[in-house]
Amino acid sequence: MKKIIIFIFFTVALFGATNSTNSADASTEQTITIENQENGLEDEFSDDDTLSDIYDPLGSYNRVMTDVNDFFYINILNPVATGYSDTVDISIRKGISNVFNNLFFPIRFVNNVLQLKFANAAEETGRFLINSTIGVLGIFDPAKQQFELEAHKEDFGQTLGFYGVGAGPHIVLPLIGPSNLRDTISLVPDTILNPTTTSFPNSSLTTTEGILIYTVYSINKASLHLGEYENIKEDAIDLYPFIRDLYEQKRISEIKE
Amino acid sequence: MNLKTILSSKILKIFAIFAVLSVQVMAMKESAIETQMKSKIDKTTNLLQNKELSFNDKTNQIFETFDTVFDYASMSRIALGKKWKKLTLEQKNNFRKAFTSKLKQSYMDKLNLYTDEKVSIEKIEKIKKNRIKLYTKLIGQEEAYNIIYKFHKSKTTDNWLIYDVEMIGVSIMKTYRNQFKEYLASNSFDNLLVKLKTKTKQ
Repeated sequence: MKKIIIFIFFTVALFGATNSTNSADASTEQTITIENQENGLEDEFSDDDTLSDIYDPLGSYNRVMTDVNDFFYINILNPVATGYSDTVDISIRKGISNVFNNLFFPIRFVNNVLQLKFANAAEETGRFLINSTIGVLGIFDPAKQQFELEAHKEDFGQTLGFYGVGAGPHIVLPLIGPSNLRDTISLVPDTILNPTTTSFPNSSLTTTEGILIYTVYSINKASLHLGEYENIKEDAIDLYPFIRDLYEQKRISEIKE
Repeated sequence: MNLKTILSSKILKIFAIFAVLSVQVMAMKESAIETQMKSKIDKTTNLLQNKELSFNDKTNQIFETFDTVFDYASMSRIALGKKWKKLTLEQKNNFRKAFTSKLKQSYMDKLNLYTDEKVSIEKIEKIKKNRIKLYTKLIGQEEAYNIIYKFHKSKTTDNWLIYDVEMIGVSIMKTYRNQFKEYLASNSFDNLLVKLKTKTKQ
């Protein structure tokens, strides 16, 4: 196990994103917006210009996979999730979502600890104990409602980011969606920490059961987020770079937290 | 440049300055940001929950509530980045118009998703003497989303205006800026305008 982790660190470090810096062009504007320049609004965004010069060696593959995923979502997952949401009451769907999130506790616990966020790890433990018992196997969330204990979502990609590992090239994964090299490799330790997968230590699940559970999870999750993807997609001029940008911005912010 | 074009560009400038100033007159003072934003957000959620009003009536009233605090002029400029200063005044105005309606259209589409989420104001933070961040939380079906409104202070007046909104760590302005930059690397400005307009009409 130790060897695997060292290997992961090494590989990711090799691909660590090295962003080239664009020097901000400092010429002035002679129109009504001169005020903004003085206000420094422009400077606040100019360093982000590097974002679209993002290192993207897999760009053409990613573009194709984005369209494949888009097709899959629009034509398969979305109709199934819509039908499911019409038949299954929202309270049941929320309950299922709660059960899954409760089972994902080891991922959050370990990654909080690895990031030295001990108070959050303790809060997560409290949540797991309360919700697994009083919350009836995690169906309900009394930890939050009665005890005001908040969830602290952390994954291994965030842990690596916490220790300064760069994102590496962006990779669009089949069915899963946007990711990058760091986060893709991080799926391995997070899957091992996930009791709903066959990779979990001493798991008695068969591969078929594992796939079935993941399918239920995905449909249930999609049913709680209907319309969101199509909606956000409307803001895109070009779908692939748009989704890539959203994903990478979101990850940077999650790592900072 | 003949006299007519000089004159019309002057008129346009004066008109633009007037438009910007008249917006700022109605905008907010620092001490009032939190309370005014709270009342605006509450008004919005109330409107959205109102079952008697049509969707159009709702969005119109919501825009009335928020229009005066959004700095569409600065947002248009930020979105285009370096390209902005290469544009003629007419192009700038066209872009500002198209981009503003794009922003509004996108916002309206988002309102369509609204069910019964609640919004709470978490905190207000002054990061610089002319920058304020207002942290809010949207409580969704499954999880809560952080939404941050970023205000800047106008140099000429004491008013605060929104120049960016950040949702779950994604800056709207950053995203448009990156998109436009990438698009303009292989397409013309006029193509972008067409693209913006057709996207908005849908």
